[in-house]
Amino acid sequence: MLNVNMGSNVIPSTFLRNVMKNGIGRHVCQLQRVTLSLCKWSPGSAPAREFVEQDMVDFTRQNPGIVFYLKPRRHRSPVLKAEYLNGYTEEIDLTKLSREEINHWLGLLKGRSGQQIVRLRKDFHTDTPSIQGVWNPFLFKDTELSIKDVRDPSLSEYISPFKSATEKLLELKKKSGAS
Amino acid sequence: MAALQCVRSLSKVRYNVLHKFSAAVMVVENKSVRRYSTSHQLVGKSSNSRQHLSYLYELYHRRIEVGPEKERHPSEYGCWNHDAEIYAFGQRFGEDFNDMVLKEAFVQRCFVEQEIEKQKDLGLDMEIDMTDNEILAEKGYSLASRFIKAYLRYSFPQLFEEGISAIHDFLLSDEMLFHIGCNIGLKELIQSATYPPEHPTYVTTLKAVIGALIESQNEKKAEDFVLDLIIPQLVGIDVSELWNIENPMGLLCALLKEQNLGEPEARLLWSSASNTIMPLHHVGIYSDKKLLGKSPGETISIAEDMAAREAIKKLLNMTDNRSPLELGDKAKNLELDFNKTNRSVSELNCS
Repeated sequence: MLNVNMGSNVIPSTFLRNVMKNGIGRHVCQLQRVTLSLCKWSPGSAPAREFVEQDMVDFTRQNPGIVFYLKPRRHRSPVLKAEYLNGYTEEIDLTKLSREEINHWLGLLKGRSGQQIVRLRKDFHTDTPSIQGVWNPFLFKDTELSIKDVRDPSLSEYISPFKSATEKLLELKKKSGAS
Repeated sequence: MAALQCVRSLSKVRYNVLHKFSAAVMVVENKSVRRYSTSHQLVGKSSNSRQHLSYLYELYHRRIEVGPEKERHPSEYGCWNHDAEIYAFGQRFGEDFNDMVLKEAFVQRCFVEQEIEKQKDLGLDMEIDMTDNEILAEKGYSLASRFIKAYLRYSFPQLFEEGISAIHDFLLSDEMLFHIGCNIGLKELIQSATYPPEHPTYVTTLKAVIGALIESQNEKKAEDFVLDLIIPQLVGIDVSELWNIENPMGLLCALLKEQNLGEPEARLLWSSASNTIMPLHHVGIYSDKKLLGKSPGETISIAEDMAAREAIKKLLNMTDNRSPLELGDKAKNLELDFNKTNRSVSELNCS
């Protein structure tokens, strides 16, 4: 999943990515399959059973694109397994979770893109950082400079930030001449 | 027996016991071993005894020698409802498929052959009512191809037909269709003789799904499907690089001549570090003393070539800062002319 060059002893990191440009055309929910394995008897699975009785049908009606499987497993803690369109799977252990929390987890799984959650280097990403092209030393430089000799006196002339007395006088003359 | 060769520091009795339990371990692909106990009673409690450690050691090495578990279809684990999956596939894209036709779109020829073979082996002389997806795929491909070309001609009206074909070929290449097929969850739905399915199977199936949409609904819906799933793959891609122009300077000359502009004139704008291993030359292409395009390059000839490409891009309205492609809701009611073709490079040279 991670295609970023990383050293061996760092926390894996990646850039923000969109799966197959989803949402530019139509938005496709990336969660394709949910499997809830639960025990029919044990108290540990009670909230999961409650979820099945009260919320599951509503969830499947609202999300016809997600296939929901139920797997009875004797004396095991309930587990929610989510499979995404890109083949990624995620398992959530539902031990000691209430019915409401199961709903929250399911909502989270539904909204995910199917990318593994790793540290993001930035909250934004672009493949084309600049459509004008990156800066280079020749940018906005007068091409006249390329044919000028390096020893040309005009290149080493001192450019004062202040106006000289002559310039000031000339300016005054201009003003008075104009008025 | 490969398993026999790796008996390490174990008595024969112990080996026989082990033989029963060798199914209790699984290996993950990167050779890290995960241990699963299939039955608590049989494997027993873990202990630190020397015998037990050597037992685990043996299991570890034997599993590595056997290799990772074969990838299996979820139906082999008993958790699979093909009808529900087919229905959900259509709903996911907001399309109302005919379930019978959509089912057909996932059936590969090799799968049908395998089924017939199975029937023969069982000694049954029954007719198999199954058609593969080849016809649907053909239909889907021709629609996708026709639509993509019309869309590209609409979006890049000045681009030559060769360029249009290059972008079209990129969008409908096997790699691209495989990439899309992988990311819309075809893997488990495909019915083929092998699992996981081979790469070309994804391509045919994706085409067949488009074909199934024509059969189930109409061509407009199928075109929208192509517009929403295949064409957005152009986002973030330099379209002008997909078409490799053989002789950019020649094409530029012909283009300028046609527009009654002066001959292109290449001028060296900048050059730097020419005696080193990283030389840089900036060449600009001028016509009638107006700058058409400029580009850097390692040698003057490369820079000239690239600058000519830049100039062509500018003349064909294909510059990087052009307005983006019309996609999504904006593109729903485009008036595409399916009969129109852009002119080709050969036409330009003749005139």
